[in-house]
Amino acid sequence: MPDLSEYYQPQSLTTALELLAKSGGKLRPLAGGTDIVPAMSKGELKADGLVDLSKLPDIQRISVDGNEVKIGSLTTFTQIETSPLIRAKASLLAEAAAAVGSPQIRNLGTIGGNIANASPAADTVTALVTLDAKARLDSLKGSRRVLVSELLCGAGKTNIHPQEIITEINFKIPPPGSKTGFIKLGRRKALAIARMNLAIIFNVKEERISFARVGLGAVGPNPRRYVVLENSLLGQTPSEVLIEKFAIEAECEVTRVLGSRPSAVYKCEAVKGIARDLLTKLFLDSGQGVV
Amino acid sequence: MAQFHLEMKVNGKPIALDIDPGLRLLDVLRDILHLTGTKEGCGEGECGACSVILDDELVDSCLILAPQAHGRGVITIEGLALNGELDPYQQAFLEVGAVQCGYCTPGMILAARVLLNHNPKPSKQDIAKAISGNLCRCTGYAKIVQGIEIAASLKETKAGVSRA
Repeated sequence: MPDLSEYYQPQSLTTALELLAKSGGKLRPLAGGTDIVPAMSKGELKADGLVDLSKLPDIQRISVDGNEVKIGSLTTFTQIETSPLIRAKASLLAEAAAAVGSPQIRNLGTIGGNIANASPAADTVTALVTLDAKARLDSLKGSRRVLVSELLCGAGKTNIHPQEIITEINFKIPPPGSKTGFIKLGRRKALAIARMNLAIIFNVKEERISFARVGLGAVGPNPRRYVVLENSLLGQTPSEVLIEKFAIEAECEVTRVLGSRPSAVYKCEAVKGIARDLLTKLFLDSGQGVV
Repeated sequence: MAQFHLEMKVNGKPIALDIDPGLRLLDVLRDILHLTGTKEGCGEGECGACSVILDDELVDSCLILAPQAHGRGVITIEGLALNGELDPYQQAFLEVGAVQCGYCTPGMILAARVLLNHNPKPSKQDIAKAISGNLCRCTGYAKIVQGIEIAASLKETKAGVSRA
């Protein structure tokens, strides 16, 4: 059992930020708990004290403001997966949330926690970086907005300061008519940590792809966009030939990133499979994931 | 060592306790409240043996600290039978033999209950999804799925009777 010398359950964000500011880095924020709690129980993670964010109002909400979607950082994967707004405007994120863990984990785990935990395989993070999502970080000194991709700086590492809390994630809705999708490759359907995940957004104008975003997770230390793969789609007409061309480009990229790592042989082959599956679904099914 | 004053409803009964905040919800249920129907399997959210219902949602009680349940309602397997009479889920599991070693059973039954609360007529696929966070190493799942189907029809019959 973790030996906690302090445990706070503030009712307001200001109190939470004051506690973090005063503690000099000793207190850690606690969101859903699904990663931190078992890690502490097994002694893999030590924390002197926790600031439990579960009673904070206003950071568990999904809203839309103009063409921007805002998601409170304590919104659970279940809330994201079932949100009509997210399904309509950013289906890739709803699909990514649905791919996390198990029903029990999705009912607890939060999107803010998924970012702060900085796992290379974090499912919703792959969708978020593909959307160019930003995280809002609050501290007593004020707030800042940072691209999720810039907040992550290695496996398990972020640029979040000890006195800061992620309070909101926001992103622009992809251009009208865009198609979006997410695919995860795990050892089995439920509860598997992604061996790899892929998110795609694209828009077709006059039969050619005019807008493309591609994000891959569990390849590098953190999920990120792959501009080379985006460029391989831009200006092209959706077709079976393009799917094959994209799959080969994806294989080349993954080979380049992974080099001689032991997982490279498997992942270079596997990425072609998920690339084909996702693009085929998005190219062929006209109703799938349209914004 | 800090203490946390925990108030929650367990199986409908209000509970107030001063606890060590490092205790997981699972530890409080089993070791302090002696509700040992909730099992610890893997301790990391893989097996679902520790599943309980927290405010109408299924959660792994090994993945949250007890203070996170403060002010909320928890239902464990002990909260299902009423005056010694089994509820439809328990009855159905017994009828079809969905229980072998029994370790996964409380979690499975609670997963079924949450499913049927949201979806009274689930398909086989809905059932498989609803119990996807619960592992069973004995039954091969077929009897469990069958048990949940029977529970759904028992509940429907009961609802019909009470409406009549």
